[in-house]
Amino acid sequence: MTGVSAAELAAHDFLRGLRPAQVERLADAAVAVAVPAGHRFFEEGGRAAQFWLITSGHVALDLHVPGKAPIIIETLGRGDVVGLSWASPPREWQFGADAVQPTEAFEFDADEVIGICEGDHELGYQLARRLLAVASGRMHWSRIRMLDLYGSPEQRGGMS
Amino acid sequence: MTAQLTGTGHAPAVGHSVPARYVVRSRRDETHDTVTLVLRPVDEPVPAHRPGQFTMLYAFGVGEVPISISGAPVGTELVQTIRAVGAVTRALCAARPGEMVGVRGPFGTDWGIGADGAGAASPMPDPAGRDILVVAGGIGLAPLRPALLTALAGRERYGRITVLVGSRSPEEICFGDQFDSWRQAGAQVLVTVDRASSGWRGHVGVVTQLIDRIDIDPAATVALVCGPEVMMRLTARALAALGIGEPDIRVSLERNMRCGIAECGHCQLGPVLLCRDGPVVGYEQAHQLLSIKEL
Amino acid sequence: MDDAAQAGAAGGPRVGDASRLMDAGGLDRLHAVLRDLGYQVIGPAVRDGAIILRELGSAGELPFGWGVELAPGGYRLRQRADTAAFGHSAGPQSWKQYLHPPREKLWSIGRTDGRLEPPDPDGQDDRMAFIGVRPCDLRAIGIQDRVLAGGDHATSRYAARRAGVFIVAVNCTEPGETCFCTSMGAGPQAGPGYDLALTEMTGDGTHRFLVDVGSSAGAEVLAEVPTTPADDPTEHLARSAVQEAAGRMGRSMPADVLHDLMRDSYDAARWDDVAARCLTCGNCTMACPTCFCTTVEDTSDLTGEHAERWQLWDSCFSLSFSYLPSGPVRASDRSRYRQWLTHKLGTWHDQFGSSGCVGCGRCIVWCPVGIDLTEEVAALRAEAAGRQGAPGTAGPGGSDQARP
Repeated sequence: MTGVSAAELAAHDFLRGLRPAQVERLADAAVAVAVPAGHRFFEEGGRAAQFWLITSGHVALDLHVPGKAPIIIETLGRGDVVGLSWASPPREWQFGADAVQPTEAFEFDADEVIGICEGDHELGYQLARRLLAVASGRMHWSRIRMLDLYGSPEQRGGMS
Repeated sequence: MTAQLTGTGHAPAVGHSVPARYVVRSRRDETHDTVTLVLRPVDEPVPAHRPGQFTMLYAFGVGEVPISISGAPVGTELVQTIRAVGAVTRALCAARPGEMVGVRGPFGTDWGIGADGAGAASPMPDPAGRDILVVAGGIGLAPLRPALLTALAGRERYGRITVLVGSRSPEEICFGDQFDSWRQAGAQVLVTVDRASSGWRGHVGVVTQLIDRIDIDPAATVALVCGPEVMMRLTARALAALGIGEPDIRVSLERNMRCGIAECGHCQLGPVLLCRDGPVVGYEQAHQLLSIKEL
Repeated sequence: MDDAAQAGAAGGPRVGDASRLMDAGGLDRLHAVLRDLGYQVIGPAVRDGAIILRELGSAGELPFGWGVELAPGGYRLRQRADTAAFGHSAGPQSWKQYLHPPREKLWSIGRTDGRLEPPDPDGQDDRMAFIGVRPCDLRAIGIQDRVLAGGDHATSRYAARRAGVFIVAVNCTEPGETCFCTSMGAGPQAGPGYDLALTEMTGDGTHRFLVDVGSSAGAEVLAEVPTTPADDPTEHLARSAVQEAAGRMGRSMPADVLHDLMRDSYDAARWDDVAARCLTCGNCTMACPTCFCTTVEDTSDLTGEHAERWQLWDSCFSLSFSYLPSGPVRASDRSRYRQWLTHKLGTWHDQFGSSGCVGCGRCIVWCPVGIDLTEEVAALRAEAAGRQGAPGTAGPGGSDQARP
């Protein structure tokens, strides 16, 4: 784990468009991490006290199903943000997450970031808009998956 | 219109308006509802196909359906992949080696992949020197496979070759055991599923979400897209948003067909008769066709 | 088959010769000559309150003295003041009944232990002569020829059947209330494609026909029928009557704007208006002389050793006409009426290089609720003009975004 420069942070897709001063402020709350395959970022039900901006690798969000290995519900990679539940109550992880391959990321202390945003509402507004875009995109694709487009007519119960 | 009438018997074109007989040489269960048949001609073989074309396959006494040719144009055998979704496809999927089916074709426009011989006959130009991006949803990989195999066989003609495969679940991935051979032949292959089963460690998400995982040079890329209509629409939109020109996004449209030879009217989509002017069309034309509701 | 060839009989009529005159009795002789040559002679006849097409045992079965009153959703026979045989239009049938039959066996096939026998195409033994083909219907035959006998279809069943047909066209001098062949460039003068063309004249107590020869086959047949050379005044009378008919059409259509109008009208509100009236019964597609859509029916017998394929007329008004595994594509009435009209008047050009409409007016007459496509086109045109005028709408011809 090492400190992160504003320049490195600014290159990440999620923070594109932020002013340099804003990126500087966020850099104070971030460290660069590199984790091996199999590393567990968090567990379902845990307190959501961090989030990560992925720069390389492959992260899987999963759900525990009794009697089976955890089922992956979404995979993320370069350019993505892992962890959204920190941003609003009850600040509890809805899924688990682990690195499927060796992964590098910027790890943020969520409490620190929230503190920064309380004092800098402009930055808070910018982060909130970006989080909303990520959530909205994932919801859109999840809805498309729910259409079960590849399903046969029987599999979809005759649904048009 | 002569008053002196000779016999009016006509010579029906076998393999065109009347089925040519083919025997099932072998079959392979790709998934629980999808089968690949290798067909060997009994009568005169139909003309060699171009990647992306289809045939009308006839199941005795049941009927005919348009089925994509999923093998490369090599020899006189036909490789066709069928998904059992109705009476005719169920009958075809049940065919065992030694049984005969009827074949008419090949029909339709093709992907435009292949050295001069194939490319010259196609309305689409061969993307020699450019990157090829193949995006397949579900059984859409079947008509794309001949294009991919043809491109890999002439690897040095093209730039990067990337294949994005979307599937319903890990158990329903078609041709999954061939992906490594495609990688060895020089393609980057990424696979994602809509829903994972326990033990799947690959990508999970819609195939369009894989686009973010690869490097694309929009100006150098020709995309070949096939799958359910909604998937093609969303994929084409995402690729166009990246800057790939609409004529360089080629999609394969689908409608029910009866004759396959542009005389029954069923497969028309606006001005396009899909059996004759399709199924492969450029997105600059497909864009409007796919956006008019109930066209 | 060569229209420009000399006739077989020395001194007989030839293509390009001056026209001949034939009296009404010549029709009997014409019928007999065609029968003797082995043709099945088909023409109009009265039955069940309408003028239908059927095989004629003699020329006497033609509907002499019968006319029609036409209106949207209305057709009545009426007695004429004269004895004209061809003074009527827009009967419920067109010649596609014979050239492109409603039900036809394509082939049969046998199977033993999974082995298929080679398919056995059904034989054809059609030698037909059509008497009384109106110019609109002649144009319609040409349009269907392009769809069913052009290009790849040169060896089709339709092409083989078509090659043996002898056509006696009849020019129009009395358009019906619902006719608009002039607008569509399909009449009232018959275009090329006939073997013989008649212009009926019943003025001044006589009943005669001006006869034009259109092919060497026509010349050969006419040589067996008593005719006299046509004198200039009589010929002039006949030609003027046809020319004047062009100005007396019951309806009109702006043919040159139709392709673009259809292309730009996919979202028009008018479709909802017509959908509220349309029953999607498909009568228009049955009566229309150019509608060609078919489906196939594969059947097998109980032993599972014998199967057949039959071709049947189909209609785009049928719910299952266009479908994907997820269901019908054109589920609403609106979308199916729109498909029919935009295809007939618009995308037919893109697919086959001409309009699909010949202005015969049958769809207007035989629609049970009287939908009139000339009225629908006028409404769509007004709506399109309104769209152009409104602020923020696209420029002339609709926006490029609307181009399918």
